[in-house]
Amino acid sequence: MTTAATVSEVRRRFGRTQALSGATFEIGTGVTGLLGPNGAGKTTLLRILATVAAPDSGSVSVFGRDPSVASQRVEIRRRLGYLPQEPGFQRGFSVFEFIDYVAILKEMTNRQQRHAEVRRVIDAVDLASVSGKRVRSLSGGMRRRVALGASLLGEPQFLVLDEPTAGLDPEQRLRFRELVSRAGESRAVLLSTHQTEDVAALCQDVVVLDKGRVLFQGAPSELSGVAGGRVWLADERVAGAELVWRTGEGRFRHLGAPPSGAELVEPTLEDGYLLLVGRFDEEVAA
Amino acid sequence: MTWHVPEQLVSAYAVGELAGARAASIEAHVMTCAECRLTVNAEVPTERMHSIWAAVEDEVDAPRRSWAERVLSALGMADSDARLVSGAPSLHASWLLSLAAVLAFAVWASNSRSGGTTLFLILAPIVPVLAVGGSYGRGIDPTFEVSVASPYPTMRLVLLRSTAVVAASGVLALVASLFVPSGGYAAAWLLPCLALLSITLVVARWLPLPVAAAGVAACYALPLIAALVDNRDVAGVLLSASVQWTALALAVSASLFLAHDPMLRSALRRNR
Repeated sequence: MTTAATVSEVRRRFGRTQALSGATFEIGTGVTGLLGPNGAGKTTLLRILATVAAPDSGSVSVFGRDPSVASQRVEIRRRLGYLPQEPGFQRGFSVFEFIDYVAILKEMTNRQQRHAEVRRVIDAVDLASVSGKRVRSLSGGMRRRVALGASLLGEPQFLVLDEPTAGLDPEQRLRFRELVSRAGESRAVLLSTHQTEDVAALCQDVVVLDKGRVLFQGAPSELSGVAGGRVWLADERVAGAELVWRTGEGRFRHLGAPPSGAELVEPTLEDGYLLLVGRFDEEVAA
Repeated sequence: MTWHVPEQLVSAYAVGELAGARAASIEAHVMTCAECRLTVNAEVPTERMHSIWAAVEDEVDAPRRSWAERVLSALGMADSDARLVSGAPSLHASWLLSLAAVLAFAVWASNSRSGGTTLFLILAPIVPVLAVGGSYGRGIDPTFEVSVASPYPTMRLVLLRSTAVVAASGVLALVASLFVPSGGYAAAWLLPCLALLSITLVVARWLPLPVAAAGVAACYALPLIAALVDNRDVAGVLLSASVQWTALALAVSASLFLAHDPMLRSALRRNR
């Protein structure tokens, strides 16, 4: 795995809120998923990696370049595709016009080549049929795809996607997976999401962030393994489990220490994530 | 008997050697003649066909150009820069109408009571400053986050947009000056305006542009409005030679600082 970015002991505070408390991890070629509850510091971390914000302390390196140095920051930006959590759109711009505008920001000055690239990404996100429509008249999911298309301009070597699947319907999410999976074959993709099934389906590596700290980095199967021997089914709700919910089959899925003779089942990535985040709460409380 | 396009004409048309009426007549004919359509189609080289399609697609997809974009291109700005500059919110009609309304109010005040010109002298210099503040920044430009993460130099974008919005709002203020009693007297806002704009751009090296513009405008206007409410001779102060020379000195100093700013120089050197 070629290292695309490293984050070392990064801290960032906003007023009284410590958004990042010494986050450390590496991102390589392939798709890396960033999981964490709301307020975990995911967006702050992605903004720092996208060179939009700077850390208070610690160091960040993208393709060996230091984003705190102006000239190196520009080199990073030339290889970067960024989808912000809440992308904005110029008033009155059509899909084509908006992506064309971003293409100019990405230094594509040759009009004909730029337009060809704009058409390529519009096709990639399946928006050719609404290319001439105003972005602000589109649904939330479509607008997200417009912003995703803009982030793909110029085939960037490092894609930073903040909750790219928010607002997408199941079919769009499948198309998105195909798109990102293809990008991850030769490039580094870092995506934050609340959808553990997206991570399980797409990512070769997972980083779990909570309260500004990295709790886990490893393969999705390793995250599932965190819950190994701690997921069990029962016909009734059993007291003492950390989490219990009724499944579609009418049985109760329990997370936590199983009683003797419990019917253990294969843990999912979501089970591992839930137990991991819950355990961290206990550690902090202790 | 059906007429068909002669072979030598097809060959000449296929490689783009026919122009004007002859090319047009062949195009009109092939629309109705399937046989000639196939012949011409087979003769046109694939590369030429692709480049024609690319040109057609390019024309069909060409983004609509706003009035600001057309004016900037006509003034010699590169099309790509003009597009980014025209994205400045303060170049939108709603912003310019608001600024025009402020100036119209100041003109009305200057004509309706004695001493009203003072209000115009206070408001006219800050109109272009506010327009600069409304040209770029978080919460102002919807694509701010994406533009910051792009390799396009932020300083260049700020300068290009500032120049465009100062020109647009400055024209509004100059036109408004014509309706103020004693026009020469009303032009006394120009040097303070120049000073405020230069200081805004200097402060914007450390603060977000909208904050810098709002702060500089407030520091200038609020004390003067307070003095005006207190019935002091604000116009006399603004028109005094010492204030005008001070404004000129501030404008020159701030401009010299900007001219020596390495980031700004690198942004201006950029050949696009």
